Amino acid sequence: MEKATSLEKPILRVSVAPHIQQKITTSHLMYNTLIALVPALLAGIYFFGFASLKLALICMATAVACEAGMQGVMGRKLTIKNGSSLVLGLLFALICSPELPWWTAVLGVAVAVILGRGIYGGLGNNPFNAVLVGWAVMKISFAAQMATWIMPEPLFGLEAGGYIEYPPLEVLRLDGVDALLDLPWRDLFIGNVPGAIGTVCVAAVLIGGIYLLARRIITWHIPVSFLASAWLFGLIFWLIDPEVYANPTIYLLSGWMVLGAFFLATDKGTVPVTAPGMIIFGIGCGVITMIIRYWGGFVDGVAFAILLMNALTPLLDRVRPRVYGRVKQVA
Amino acid sequence: MGFKTSFRGVSLPPQKVSNPAIEDAPLPKKVVLPLGQSENRVCKPVVEVGEHVKTGQLIGQSDDFLVAPVHSSVSGTVTEIRPWSDLSGNKMPSVIVESDGNDSWLEEIRAHEDFSDKESAQLLPDVKAAGVVETGPPSMPLHAKFTKPEPSKEFQFLVGIPQSKPVDTVIINGIDAEPGMAAKGAVLTKYSSEIADGIRILQKLIGSAQMVLAVGSNGSVSSPLSGELAGLGVQVFQGKDKYPLGLNPILIKCVTGREIPLPDGTEQDIGVAVVDAVTLVHLVEAVRDLKPQVDKIVSVSGAGITAVKNYKVRLGTLVQDLVEQLAGLQGDPVKVIAGGAMTGVALFSTDIPVTKEIDALIFQTAAEAKSFSPDACINCGLCVRHCPSRLLPNELSKYCEFSMFEEARDKYLLHCIECGICAYVCPEKRPMLHLMRYGKRELSLA
Ligand code: SF4
Ligand code: SF4
Repeated sequence: MEKATSLEKPILRVSVAPHIQQKITTSHLMYNTLIALVPALLAGIYFFGFASLKLALICMATAVACEAGMQGVMGRKLTIKNGSSLVLGLLFALICSPELPWWTAVLGVAVAVILGRGIYGGLGNNPFNAVLVGWAVMKISFAAQMATWIMPEPLFGLEAGGYIEYPPLEVLRLDGVDALLDLPWRDLFIGNVPGAIGTVCVAAVLIGGIYLLARRIITWHIPVSFLASAWLFGLIFWLIDPEVYANPTIYLLSGWMVLGAFFLATDKGTVPVTAPGMIIFGIGCGVITMIIRYWGGFVDGVAFAILLMNALTPLLDRVRPRVYGRVKQVA
Repeated sequence: MGFKTSFRGVSLPPQKVSNPAIEDAPLPKKVVLPLGQSENRVCKPVVEVGEHVKTGQLIGQSDDFLVAPVHSSVSGTVTEIRPWSDLSGNKMPSVIVESDGNDSWLEEIRAHEDFSDKESAQLLPDVKAAGVVETGPPSMPLHAKFTKPEPSKEFQFLVGIPQSKPVDTVIINGIDAEPGMAAKGAVLTKYSSEIADGIRILQKLIGSAQMVLAVGSNGSVSSPLSGELAGLGVQVFQGKDKYPLGLNPILIKCVTGREIPLPDGTEQDIGVAVVDAVTLVHLVEAVRDLKPQVDKIVSVSGAGITAVKNYKVRLGTLVQDLVEQLAGLQGDPVKVIAGGAMTGVALFSTDIPVTKEIDALIFQTAAEAKSFSPDACINCGLCVRHCPSRLLPNELSKYCEFSMFEEARDKYLLHCIECGICAYVCPEKRPMLHLMRYGKRELSLA
């Protein structure tokens, strides 16, 4: 009794529920992060010239090549199209000095992709922030190359900010609070100071961060608790002794603080996923950053603060809201 | 009663609903009537092959309290009694009736019977005899909901402690929970007098319980109904447009502030009964018209039907027959879903009868059908942010994926309400809900 309608006994696909899916994919998350990083890169180009762009391109190309090579060797599905290695490469470039020799950058990115992420099973399964792992290895192995800073030379418009010759945090560390008294906060905010490509211009990073928040790629928990706790911690010490500890806002506007809070401390997989966990994570990052900045062996503590808190992530994920329908154990 | 409205979930894409009419689907030529709801709860047939049956005639019943009797949904001849695949592929003994096209009813439906002077004890047998089944989940005969429940498994060893609470809150669920469902909203508009009658019946059955009618954000209560509701002391809970508000565990939480004690608890353990608005209409027909449940209101959407339509379908109509009679279906559906888009079951064949448990049918063309990928979780945390049970679905899915079921149980796998949100939001398109169900199934077998 075969009837000739097109609907007669169609071959049906069977799958589990749900039968609709959100449009958001991993690529969507990654390319949005990439877009959010563009203002910071543009600011880097504006202040430090096209060397910044060159470095960024080298890093991104290296990241993609390493990722592809790694996945080829391991016989895994190629996922370079999802943009996660582009984000990794760009982030790496943004936290480096525009003067970084190209081979250092290549080496750093390779370490980040392969040792930082690949060997753990790829995106999201690495315990530590891959960018920071690469950076930390380079920082320790090639300290001199990683610490060459150049003066900002805005391409047009602005006067070069010539108040300080080193990144503000180094100045603070070497010359004390007084050295920064003349430095206009506006220069700090728009990035007219020496420093890493993507971290000097706090304004640009903020734009990117707000974009991420608005597109709901990240939630507010980590950035807000990170920045707020760092500022409050700084405030306490500033109130105690303003001769030794600078105004907390200067700390917020200098170094990696804002980039770290929005982009590095929200790296998927290395940070907690529960709301309370994220807040504790942010507070930990903020406080440890300030501790390292005040008394630590490194000038900018953001990287090591985040790496340290990464190690606590599995623990922080245990801090979670009460599960639905959980009754007290009887007996 | 103060309502809460904060819970985790997602806003699903809004769906178009054609005007809240409920059309009668054409009378099927053949119906397949499964004799039970699950493998171990099956009725015995009381008709024989070759026998002529009328619409509404009893064809199967059981002594088991949790089994609803089955009635013929058309008049005609019983041609076969044999196992027939149900939704999930289990063979269920079924009675197959070839329709004679007359739809002659067994007896006059005593429309608008006066039930006002009947006692609860008289009403309950009517409900049982009509075989009204709550759509669920869990799907169960409606009369079982209003009878003293068995003690929950978890507390069975406790002696001398009251093991069940009397029902003090009845929630009438008028929220169309998932995309693809529109029947409840339609029923609230079209059958408003039945809803009011249904509430009166429930008040008789349950006694002094607070009644709450829950409606969705776009579901409005018509003014005559709202007046009547106020007279009956029914509170109206207007939900917001967020999934999974329409799912019972979350609805109960929002209306009463109580949570079903999982994993073994039921809504009866916390003194709540939730009645589906569509089921309520069948309840009214059972008590007021003494009419057994022979049809079911089913929402149909997808594959060219952009606005969800509601049909009153005779039970046992094969999906295939329905497909041929529906207007507006375009393209070749590659996926047919029984239930809503978030939790429904994809059919493996269109030779599946419409049963009392099916409340929606969604047809998807190749372009609409989604699939899942076996990729690794990237720990983005989206599922965690949205899980209404406040679980860590990322972690649970990994445990289930790698057969670490005990660990998953320790991390509250059994508290998952199977809403499907984790799979809906996952950027890697992991088959999250499948992994949860798989883990639960493995644990239940262990
Ligand atoms: S884990 Fe269960 S309750 Fe949580 S989102 Fe997934 S299906 Fe829903
Ligand atoms: S949404 Fe998917 S990828 Fe993201 S954490 Fe959950 S399971 Fe992992």
